[in-house]
Amino acid sequence: MEVFYLVLRNLMARPVRSLLTLLGVLVATSSMVLFLSFGEGLRRALFQELSRVGPAIQVVPEGTEGFGFSPSPEITPETFQALSQAGKTLGVRAVIPTLLLTRGGFDPNTSFFFQGLPPGVAPDLLYPGVKAREGQLLPSEKGAVVGGRIAKRNGLSLGSSLRLSPKVTLKVEGILEEAGGLADNLIFVPLPVLQEVLGTRNFSAVLVALNPGQKAEEVARALERAVPGVKAQTTSEVMRFAERALRISDLVRFGISLVALTVGGLLVANTVMMSVYERIREFGVMRALGARRGFIFRLVLLEALLLALMGGLLGLGVGSLASSAINLYTVDQVGLALSAITPRLALFALGVALTLGLLAGLLPAHNASRIPVVEALGRV
Amino acid sequence: MLRAENLTKRYRQGEKEVVALQGFTYAFPKGATAVVGPSGSGKTTLLNLLAGFDLPTEGGVFLGETPLHRFSEDERAGVRLRHMGFVFQQWNLIPTLTALENVAFPLLLSGWPQGKRQKRAAEVLEQVGLAHRLHHLPNRLSGGEQQRVALARALALDPEILFADEPTGNLDAESREQVAALLFAAGEARTLILVTHDLELAQRAGRILYLKGGRLLREEALQPAGT
Repeated sequence: MEVFYLVLRNLMARPVRSLLTLLGVLVATSSMVLFLSFGEGLRRALFQELSRVGPAIQVVPEGTEGFGFSPSPEITPETFQALSQAGKTLGVRAVIPTLLLTRGGFDPNTSFFFQGLPPGVAPDLLYPGVKAREGQLLPSEKGAVVGGRIAKRNGLSLGSSLRLSPKVTLKVEGILEEAGGLADNLIFVPLPVLQEVLGTRNFSAVLVALNPGQKAEEVARALERAVPGVKAQTTSEVMRFAERALRISDLVRFGISLVALTVGGLLVANTVMMSVYERIREFGVMRALGARRGFIFRLVLLEALLLALMGGLLGLGVGSLASSAINLYTVDQVGLALSAITPRLALFALGVALTLGLLAGLLPAHNASRIPVVEALGRV
Repeated sequence: MLRAENLTKRYRQGEKEVVALQGFTYAFPKGATAVVGPSGSGKTTLLNLLAGFDLPTEGGVFLGETPLHRFSEDERAGVRLRHMGFVFQQWNLIPTLTALENVAFPLLLSGWPQGKRQKRAAEVLEQVGLAHRLHHLPNRLSGGEQQRVALARALALDPEILFADEPTGNLDAESREQVAALLFAAGEARTLILVTHDLELAQRAGRILYLKGGRLLREEALQPAGT
């Protein structure tokens, strides 16, 4: 019979109340875990995608922030030529212009993402590791190579037609293996075809692949110096930007979940406070028998902490289940697991639950330890 | 030896000052001393002060030469744990703990290891005739049994001083006799301070202190009736 055991016995002596409090903490913690798991999922998906991107540098028009392309292609052929020349001087492996086209709306199930690649450039230069499941990896002048997921979703097979405009129709010449990445959802087409469809000679971005031993940051800065009006972003810069954006979004989501956490904390405080009031005589007896104030304080605080910890653990479990359920859906829809319960999120959730218990238990514990013995025993 | 010197307790009730105990001086020898008196005579206040539950307005309580009244709350709790045992009228067992765990509680506070705690608690419960009730919760015990558990708890650490406040007040005749016998037996080797309304019970002690209006009226030395 240790202090922990005393606490446990007291909680079990009032099972309904303890259970309801646990449920409150469970709901608060699981909702917080779920909210924050989206940030973790996005972070993980983004970093996985970026690590799969072959070229270490992405050159975009100056003023474009983060991981993204300008809505309209702004890099002119002259700028590309200047970048190509600077790349040769710097000894890079390849300088690849690319163009993006989106067809459809916000629903990923009805949208098509086309990426234009220059003749002779296969998708595996941009996304190392992608393989053709059927057909060829390098599209011909009037051909397209389709990502595995988009092919499955739209029932595309070798020889299927893809109509990009009234004048331009391409044949599917290759279908990629599904690898769980961005390439699963892309359709690779020849760059000149996409330029024709968009009526432009410009590019969305220029990708720069490095040779072994080259430092991305140094090459990026050298490109920016050599070609005015462009921003050369390294993968790590994009990651840093994305991390900043995700942190802000984490804070917003944590702020929302604070409402649930506050309610959970108040439930714990209420339960422990009620328990203290009901047990005033019991604490008086303990003090009469020789228990010090610190013993009573620890006893009550431990009760709040135990409730919060158990609620937190259960909340983490329920949050994990909900996260898995959400991922089943998002993987099916967009091929990405958008929710992730990472170890740091699990530790954070338990830390928040314990802090909740600590805050909720401090006042009742203080009150319980300060009740005069004569009053507690009803001996005034 | 427990000694009270000029022990005085005054309360304030609104504008009015109430004197609960005034100028009580007495040295409690080994053996049983009963404190009797009508309601409001100061019996409970006296016990509160002697046990260190409360502090006197004037005067002091000494355990040997140790001035208990100068100690902090926690220090007084430490003194109670090491030197005193308590039996209350309402038993005051911890409702969520079994008889064995209730008796082991002071041993837990004293830092005894679990195995020794269990052994000692079982031993004392056996002494009060409850070896067959070790794992019962208080609400599964009769009043007399609960009071015997409370007595076992008071004796677990073998204290020098045993306080009993109306220990038979809530018991039937048979239980009353059992508890009284055990109590006076325990009081032979230690200082037993018995606060009671029950003159018949008080007369089984070696001495009776009569309180009235917060003052010690007289002390009567008796030939104890035995256990």
